[in-house]
Order: sequence, then structure tokens, then C-alpha cells
Amino acid sequence: MNDFFIPAVGAQFGLLLPYLIVAVGGLLVMLVDSFVKTVKKDHLSFLTLFILIGGILVQILTRSQGGVVLGGMLLVDDYSWFFNSLFMGVGVMTTIFATGSFDRDGVYRPEFYPLILFSILGMMVLSGANDLLTLFLGLETMSLAVYVLVGGVRGNVRSSEAGFKYLILGGFSSAFLLMGLAFLYGFAGGTGFDAIAAAMRSDQPDVLLASFGSGLVLIGLGFKVAMVPFHMWTPDVYEGAPSYITGFMATAVKAAGFAVLVRFVLLMQPQVAFTWFPVLTVLTVLTMTLGNLVALAQSNIKRMLAWSSIAHAGYLMLGVLTLISPAVGGSEMMLRSTEIGNAAGSAILFYLLAYTLMNLTAFGIINILGNRPGEDGEDINRFAGLYKKNPIAAAAMTVALLSLAGIPPMVGFMGKFYLFASVVRAGLIPLAVIGVINSLISVYYYLRVMVMMYMKEPEEDSYSGTEWVSVVTSGVLAILVIYIGVQPDAFHRLAEAIFRQINF
Amino acid sequence: MEITLTHYLVLAGAVFLTGMVGFIVRRNAIIMMMCVELMLCSTNIVFAAFSRVHGDGGGHVFVLMNFAVAAAEAAIGLAILVEIFRRRRTVNVDNFKALME
Repeated sequence: MNDFFIPAVGAQFGLLLPYLIVAVGGLLVMLVDSFVKTVKKDHLSFLTLFILIGGILVQILTRSQGGVVLGGMLLVDDYSWFFNSLFMGVGVMTTIFATGSFDRDGVYRPEFYPLILFSILGMMVLSGANDLLTLFLGLETMSLAVYVLVGGVRGNVRSSEAGFKYLILGGFSSAFLLMGLAFLYGFAGGTGFDAIAAAMRSDQPDVLLASFGSGLVLIGLGFKVAMVPFHMWTPDVYEGAPSYITGFMATAVKAAGFAVLVRFVLLMQPQVAFTWFPVLTVLTVLTMTLGNLVALAQSNIKRMLAWSSIAHAGYLMLGVLTLISPAVGGSEMMLRSTEIGNAAGSAILFYLLAYTLMNLTAFGIINILGNRPGEDGEDINRFAGLYKKNPIAAAAMTVALLSLAGIPPMVGFMGKFYLFASVVRAGLIPLAVIGVINSLISVYYYLRVMVMMYMKEPEEDSYSGTEWVSVVTSGVLAILVIYIGVQPDAFHRLAEAIFRQINF
Repeated sequence: MEITLTHYLVLAGAVFLTGMVGFIVRRNAIIMMMCVELMLCSTNIVFAAFSRVHGDGGGHVFVLMNFAVAAAEAAIGLAILVEIFRRRRTVNVDNFKALME
């Protein structure tokens, strides 16, 4: 065993380097916090930012290389390259927002810094998973760290209850996922994705085991990406968690869920397509519609964005459906299906990038609105007259909301455009129509916040104190939202090149 | 009578369903966590059984990893519950109402 593993790690050290940086960095931050007496939170924050930015740089520099590491368990390719960079980027932004929030509130959570690194490590493992075991361990590493991040605010009972709710329902869904993995293991006789792919290609695959197992895994992953009917935790957890963590969950955790979901449906494509496609279609329509309709009635902006994130998961599920839609007709149609699959897959990647940017912008601003320490700018009334008090924050929030609503020239519009275009190309026109109607409904509740910001007079003491670093960070993200919205081609081509590599 | 794969799967299914029903019916947070542990453990039976059928060690590794994950989850859950109990003096989930509209 030693002969096999140790040289393999040695030779592929470079490929593992981003993972090692984040893992060792997390341990380092934890040790520094425990043993260095003179450390202040700014030191930890800089150390975390340094680790994450170093990780991003190494990741970008090693893009040209690819391969399978850890004895076939982890796949290093352009797909994991894209997601790892995204996760670490979100980590950088979240660390900035969180440190700003600690400064403003005087509530200091040193455990935040190692935990954010560990959850990013879990996501990175998840995005490169090439084995049922790495899929499960990545998912749990990510989830366990996020449970503590959500529920770990001392003395805040809303945070504790949100954390417990997330943990208990997350454990419940993990059990389904694990049962599904067990049946897939029984189906394939090995834990590697190669073994599963080989079993799928064999003459007489055990269709029942594969369908049953993949269905249970889809339940578990559906929970992580908040797909109806596994969405019940989302509003409560998003509301109870501190805003910087809510932003992290709405972007990075959701992107990680879709990263592994896309890899998984591609792996299980024939079975999933024929057995679960009708069910998934119904659930996708429900996810979009329910998310948008309930968001209309919310007066708490974090709950509103939680329901809107459910709706956005529905749009992304449209892309996943297009990816697995069964091809009809002869060989020519099969060929076109691959092309459509590429369009859908690259649209999913582009949309995840867009969604991450615009949602982080919004949560960066929500994080700094509040008139008492420890309170977030949750009620929509808190936004009244924001443009007078802090025009930059109001402008950034406006860009984020317009982008979420899918109005050009923001990036959210281009994301929806690519996504719906691929759905139409696959011939699923009713689904595309439902998607467009849903994004029309969503304009109402996003605009309501903008009306508050620009047309209402500010309340007394509705906003005090400015965390300039967070405002500027949100501003930079808002500029990116506009820039990629105006110049989407380069990013879309990149997404297409990345996806072409993994699409069979 | 020879014990076949089916017996193991039926046993695992029964344990899994017991956990699931318990999770849905019981309102005590600690019992709910125990039910989740039960569901996670039932998958260990499936992994071990399939591991034996296929003569592949991967399933056993999965079982060991599963123990570690379940233990970590229980530790975090109990820590959060203690924090809630300090405030609420109860572990009945019907009383966890801070987040309801």
C-alpha cells in the first residue's frame, strides 16, 4: 500500500497544492489563535485572507495541469479549477464582510476563520469528487463547518435555533444521501466513479439498484441546493444565521451543491434521465414558482432572499434538466444532444458565477445595515432613504437587485439568457416559458426594496455607522456584476471550454 | 436457513424506517438526533453487506468514515443544544420558535 500511495502523492503534489494550502492554512489559523497570546482579530483575518488569496493564485497558475490524484479519488480538471477559484473568492469576500461585522458589533468569533477555511476545503473536495467516498466526505466537511458557522453565535438564540434546525435536517438528508451511496456501491461493486461508469456501460446493469440509489442521492443533494420539497429549512436558517454566513451559504454552499449535482447527473445520465426526469421536471417547476410566490409576501429581506435563492435554484435546475433530457430520434439527435448538453452545462457555470457575484453584493450591504450591535439590516424598512445616507451602498444594492431580477445590462440577465436559450434549444419550451414568467414575478419583490431605498424618507436612526471596507467590497462586486454583464463573451467561452472537458 | 443479502437489506431498511418515523413523530431534540444516528447506522449495514457480496474493501472503509462523521455531527448538535437549553430550559422542538413568522 505504501509503495502505491506515497509516490503518487509525491508526484502529484503540485495538483494537490491548493487543497493543501487551505487545509494546512485552516489548522495554522486554529493553532495561531490558540497559542499566540498577542494575536488580534485583524491578524487572523489577514492570515485567512493571505491563505485564501495564495490558494487562488496557486490554483490559477496550475490550471494547465490536470489529473487524477489520491489513488483515483480526486479529479483535478478545469471544472474543479473553476469551482475552487469561485469558492476561495467567496471565502475572501466573506472574511472581509465578517471582519467588518466583528468590528462594528464588538462581537468577535475567532472560530469563524478556521471554520470558513475548512468548509471551503470541503467544497473543493466536493467539486473534484471522483469517488463516492470523497463525495460524502467533502459534503460532510463542508456541512459540519457551516452548521457551526450558522449556530455558533454565543448568546443569540435565533442563531442557535437556526444552527440546530440546519444540523438536524442536514443529518436527516445526509442519511438519505448515504443510503443512496450505499446502493450505488452495491450496484457498481466499487466506490470509484469509474467503477460506476463501467457498471452503467455493462451489458445488463441492475437498473433497479441504480435508479433507487441515484434517487436517494438526488434527495440528499436536493436538500443542499434547497430544491422544493426539501427547502423547508432555507428561510429559517438564512434568517437566523449572521448575514455574512447567509451570504456564504447562498453562494458558495449552493454552488458546491450544484457542482457535485452536475457531475453526478452526468455520471448517472441514462438512469437518471429515464427514471427521474419526469419527477425532476415537476419539482423544478414547483421550486421556481413556490420560491417566487412566497418571496412576494416577505417583509424580512433575509427571508425574501432565502425564498429568492430557492427560485434561483429552480432556474439552475432547469439547466440540469436540459443536461439530462432524454434524446429522442436517431443518431443525429443524440449528437445534437451532446451539443445542447454543452450549452446547458456552460450556462449553469455562468449562472453560478453571476448568482454568486450578485448575491454576495446584496448580502455585503445587508450585513452593514443595522442600528444596534448584533442586529442585521433585516426589515425592509431599514432600507428607507438609504440613498441619502449612503449613496454607494444604495447603488451597489440597486445593481445587485436589478441583476437578481434579470434586467439588462447586469450579469443576471446574461445568465438567464444563456440558461433559457439552452432550455429552448433542447425543445423544452414550456419549461422556458414558466422560467420567464417566474423571473417576471420576481421583479416585483426586488423592486420593492429599491422603492424603499429611493422613494421613502429615511426613518430616524434607521442607519448609523459605516463599515467602509464592506461597502467598497460590495461596490467592487457590483462593478463586476455590470462588467461581466456587458462583456459576457469571454466568461461564457471559458465556461463552455471548461464544461466541454467533462461532458462525456 | 442461510442468511442472504436480502436479509441484510431488509434489516437495514427496517432500521432506516424506524429512524425516519421516529424523526418525524418525536418532538424531543435529543431523540430526534438519536433517530438520525439510527438512520446513518442503518446505511453501515448496507455498506458492509454489499462489501461482502462484492468482495471489495471499499464498503468497510466507508463504514469507518461514516462513524467519524456521525460522531462529529452528534458533537456539534449536542453543543448547539446545550446553548439552546441554557436559554429555553427545554429541548422540545415545538418551543424553538425564534424564527417563525
